[in-house]
Amino acid sequence: MEIRKPLKRGLINGLSITFMMVKVIVPCYIAIEIIKHSGLIDIISRACRPFMSIFGLPGEAALSLVAGYLINMYAAIAVLTPLGLPAKDVTVVALMLGICHSLTMETPITKKTGAHASLLLLVRIALSLFSGVVLHLLWK
Amino acid sequence: MEMILNALRDSLWLTLKLLLIILPLTISYEFLKERGLFSGTKPFFFMGITRPGLLPLITGVIIGLTYGAGVIVHSIKEYNLGKREVFLILLFLSVCHAIFEDTLIFVVIGANGLVVVVARLILAVVFTYLAYRARLFET
Repeated sequence: MEIRKPLKRGLINGLSITFMMVKVIVPCYIAIEIIKHSGLIDIISRACRPFMSIFGLPGEAALSLVAGYLINMYAAIAVLTPLGLPAKDVTVVALMLGICHSLTMETPITKKTGAHASLLLLVRIALSLFSGVVLHLLWK
Repeated sequence: MEMILNALRDSLWLTLKLLLIILPLTISYEFLKERGLFSGTKPFFFMGITRPGLLPLITGVIIGLTYGAGVIVHSIKEYNLGKREVFLILLFLSVCHAIFEDTLIFVVIGANGLVVVVARLILAVVFTYLAYRARLFET
């Protein structure tokens, strides 16, 4: 079996994929930093607090959801852990954020593939909210 | 200033991770391709995804959307994946990707990982199937 050629092709492909993604990633991280420092997350999560009960969650959990949506899962975990919520609540948040997270980064990445990124964004948000409500109702 | 430094540090870190993960993948794909593993365009079970399309799908489900998307862009050129199939793959991946990493970080703080993984898989399969049957973007 030929070894040199596939090795070379694999290396070239890997490098070109990485280079292409870097061009998307860097502006996203800058946007994330701006969002983190703008107070946007606080504003949105405060507005969402009263609606957390439809997922059976305390109002404080809104901050974790919004941070997960806009920044990433690690930011969400960092603000969720101190709340010390029961297993059911943590599972609801985990499912909602599993379906929909890091939108600042993942939406531009999705767009890079040429797919309908804004439609997929809406699908993710809708499914995230839907799954949160359903899991809350099912878990008795 | 600190913001820019943070952004650059995070970017550099993700780039290194990308290189470490993508390079072994693309190299092994080339060897598997030498053996003719990805030829054939029959739809894979019922979601309108072809065999070359499985490559980015599995990559994304296991290690994450960023990696999956990179492989998709490559596969579009290499195997002429259609717009519709790209959408279906990304729909599946949007709902269900990085199932190990995303789940485990919540299991650590008390979540039921099985519920999260099974729910995401079911939702991804159901909605990808519906989009496939609805013939979105069919040309």
